[in-house]
Amino acid sequence: MERRDDNCLHLPDLGEVDEVVIVEWLKGEGAAFAAGDDLVEVETEKTTFIVDAPAAGRIEHILRKAGEKARVGDRLAELSS
Amino acid sequence: MSVIDWQSFPPRMKRVIHLALGQTTYARAYALQHELHRMRCQGEIGDILITVEHDPVFTIGRSGSRANIRVSEQERQRAGIPVYEIERGGDITYHGPGQLVCYPIIDLRDYGRDIKRYIASLEQAMINLCANWEVSADRRAGYPGVWVGERKIASIGVSVRHWVTQHGLAFNVDVSKEHFAMINPCGLPIEMVSLVDLVSAPIPMENVTQRLLDHMAVIFGWDIVAENPNKYWRRIDD
Repeated sequence: MERRDDNCLHLPDLGEVDEVVIVEWLKGEGAAFAAGDDLVEVETEKTTFIVDAPAAGRIEHILRKAGEKARVGDRLAELSS
Repeated sequence: MSVIDWQSFPPRMKRVIHLALGQTTYARAYALQHELHRMRCQGEIGDILITVEHDPVFTIGRSGSRANIRVSEQERQRAGIPVYEIERGGDITYHGPGQLVCYPIIDLRDYGRDIKRYIASLEQAMINLCANWEVSADRRAGYPGVWVGERKIASIGVSVRHWVTQHGLAFNVDVSKEHFAMINPCGLPIEMVSLVDLVSAPIPMENVTQRLLDHMAVIFGWDIVAENPNKYWRRIDD
């Protein structure tokens, strides 16, 4: 769960993890969500991790699609409040 | 004046409940896991862990597929082994009698929010467990789990939601080679091995379970307290 000033959803700090694979977006572009809703599922080290919503909002644009890789801090989606 | 803070000495151990389920179907243990995960997320319980032996079952993680079942659908059904597609990481695996499965349901925010460290800790507990029987086991870079030479003795598959873990580890004590041969475990053409293949003496499951819990208690800083699972079973059986 991470959101910075750029109004984007970022991959949260998962510890010493190098990179993750995006498994599935659980909310699509244009979808509204509440704080704590499941947004995207990622996988690393035989572990799936659900990134949840830091606050209510809407997904404007998905930046990393299913199957793509991401590192800690990378922007995963643009959000609007 | 003493410089020792006696209020915090010795260091406090975290109390963790252990539920020993015995042998049960995957479906029943899976329902219980989900209920415990919900309860842990909502703060109704603290950290808790399950140990269980499953009736024969194949489970497929989020990066797996049925293509790694090597036998026909008819042959699988004749063997009476169901398949569950579940939310953990990894590919396909087999669970069955003679395999010690452990599902810690813990909040990783209390353990440094580090997934890699969590997986490494589970692996270390099982490496130490092998050492109890003088079996030298190790990790293999890029392939989570525990290995004895080229053969795999233990598998790992976890899911984390709201930072609370689910699923966990499976350690082969004396598990069916025939059933494992029906799949490509973890999606790879690898050979699995059981502890009994490496040790000449009999190995009671209770001993393995207790040793595993002892190692996990040291690694995670736990005071593990056994509790009767019946009150938790009632939540899903009613």
